[in-house]
Amino acid sequence: MEILIYGIINSVILAFMALGFTLVYSIARVPNFAHGALYITTGYIAWVLLHKLTGFPYLLAIVIAISVTAVIGALIYRFILIRIRGMEISEIIATYAIGLAILEGLRWGGLRGGTFTLPHFIAGNVQIFGVSVDYQRLIIVGIGIVTFAALYLFTHFNKVGLALRGIAQDERAAMMLGIDSDMTAIVSLAIGSGLAGFAAILLLPLGNIIVEVGYNVLIFAIAVCVIGGLGSWGGTILASFIIGFAQILTEAFLSTHYQMVVALLAIIVTLLIKPSGIFGKQKELEERV
Amino acid sequence: MRKSVYAFALILLLMFCLADAAMSQEKPIVLGAPLATAFLYGWDAERGIKLAADEINAAGGVDIGGKKRPFKVEVIDTRDLEPGVPVADALLAVEKLILEKKADFIVGGPVRSEAALAAMDLLNKHKKVSILTTGVLTPAYSKRVGENYNKYKYCFRNSSEVPAMMGDFMALLDDLQKSKGFNKAYIMVQDVAHARAGGEYMKKALSGKKWEVVDMKIYPTGTTDYSQGLIDSGKKGAHILFLWMDMPESAALLQQWSNMKLKSLPMGFMNAAEQPGFWKATGGKCEFMVVNLVNGGNAPAKITPWTMKFVEAYKKKWGLEPEGYGTSSSYMAVYQLKDAIEKAKTTDPDAVITALENQDLMGVYGRMRFDKKTHQIIHSWDPKEGAVTGMVQWQAGKRVQIFPPKVAEGKILLPPWMK
Repeated sequence: MEILIYGIINSVILAFMALGFTLVYSIARVPNFAHGALYITTGYIAWVLLHKLTGFPYLLAIVIAISVTAVIGALIYRFILIRIRGMEISEIIATYAIGLAILEGLRWGGLRGGTFTLPHFIAGNVQIFGVSVDYQRLIIVGIGIVTFAALYLFTHFNKVGLALRGIAQDERAAMMLGIDSDMTAIVSLAIGSGLAGFAAILLLPLGNIIVEVGYNVLIFAIAVCVIGGLGSWGGTILASFIIGFAQILTEAFLSTHYQMVVALLAIIVTLLIKPSGIFGKQKELEERV
Repeated sequence: MRKSVYAFALILLLMFCLADAAMSQEKPIVLGAPLATAFLYGWDAERGIKLAADEINAAGGVDIGGKKRPFKVEVIDTRDLEPGVPVADALLAVEKLILEKKADFIVGGPVRSEAALAAMDLLNKHKKVSILTTGVLTPAYSKRVGENYNKYKYCFRNSSEVPAMMGDFMALLDDLQKSKGFNKAYIMVQDVAHARAGGEYMKKALSGKKWEVVDMKIYPTGTTDYSQGLIDSGKKGAHILFLWMDMPESAALLQQWSNMKLKSLPMGFMNAAEQPGFWKATGGKCEFMVVNLVNGGNAPAKITPWTMKFVEAYKKKWGLEPEGYGTSSSYMAVYQLKDAIEKAKTTDPDAVITALENQDLMGVYGRMRFDKKTHQIIHSWDPKEGAVTGMVQWQAGKRVQIFPPKVAEGKILLPPWMK
């Protein structure tokens, strides 16, 4: 039973890590390699507000931290990526450089050691079918389901969401219908960065706010997206469950220290068998041609 | 015209005065400190070294044959604790300290064992006396000195090593076996060389002493979910969770352990749990964790008269208690060098080596003496005989020294759900 319960939890955690990355790629076609840095930035902002300003409300700290990260994401597009849009290698280099600057800047600025943490939303544990699970992990699963549903509704029934999908499906056709491509990309970067921040607020109470986590989150986000198919939301969720359960099964039946290897091995296998990922459509067409 | 002559004369006088002041200051003795400054074992060592150097300089400096020379500390970031940074980078950093910064002595690191072992040849090449104070726990360091003294005689280490630490743990576990009837241990270590070696070492040591090691799990760096291992340890009835991790994420392990109210006592070598801020960071979930700080004085304790003086001085200068492994030993290394240079009456490496070998100094964590063959600090459970460990337990927000008995300030406590 613990394999099932912790498999689901681990999968939702991975999906959260990758959601923002997928959204930005699916709409703006920008591989945002600053994703992990934005994740840590949110956690650090929330920590600063909570620890440097006595009595600062946790909820307000969360809202401010996520909003600031969303604005940073929008600014990254507005001032940097807009100039190199469409040049994928340059986009990767630029976003990775931004991420590196943010993470190492935070380290240089004092984000070092194991004392930077965010509190659990609700402390304590509960027994589910005899398996001990802390409330924070249950909250993550609950909010995860709500978030995925909300994103689906947003992109299928909201005007802005439909515009985002329109650009993702066919940029030229969408532009002919009056949808502003750059504005859509700015919005997608803001939402994607905000989602990275949202994930940080939910997941960082399980561990620490440290620079290395930023790099790990980026690796996991890429692993999930490559396996699921870059830009595919369904693929992201499916891949999260594949890796999530594979890691738990590895831990239970093989050895704990192969967990990271599983994710990286899955990328290699996917690239060998189906380079476009499980639900990757665009590349698949190119492959057929 | 007359005014300009006066002005010129005044400037000349001023220049002579300044030159005279500069001449009267003796050439500083440069201490090169190669440290991974972004990590606890680097930055706390840097703070310890600077504190000692400031104290010595404020008292006049190092007395060499009547002339007082100040210490000058040159720190370089070796980055050797960062994943993926090659050993060669740390060696370049050490060489830069020697060649560019003109370091007379090396104190502190390199911090990672592999880099420190590789740096031994460099120290021999440049004939630089070094006191290793932090990060390196491998017995291979002192063993190499013992096996090839003439080549590695420049290398000293004033902090403890794995065999001594394991002896401390075993004594503590023997006590728990006798007093509480504990006999099952579950080992959880990080997937890095020193932690795996520590885990294996403990597994072997326990197996021969009426203990049953019910399992050993190795976790990749960055793990934040230990639930499977913890649940497993509960099922297998472990009394002790023996941990060996230097990643900050290990804080999550203690949070999960506390939330699950597992009937096992966590103890071991855990970087994150060493820091004074760890209680706040875990919301008190680290209570009852037993941590080995390697050397005494890395947390407040009354080991020698100097211990609390050091603790207070550290708090005054840096605004917090000594932080963990590497703090007290780095501080002491500077005083050990001062003592040796003064006794040798020179900074000549061979004379300083002889002085260090014959040194007998009551320091922050006990009597400081180096083994003459291996240049390893002599370890003891009695501060009058040697350097003692800093084994503490988190109790009500404080790190309380619980071992060795001669310097313990409190007894080991069990969580209420274990009683």
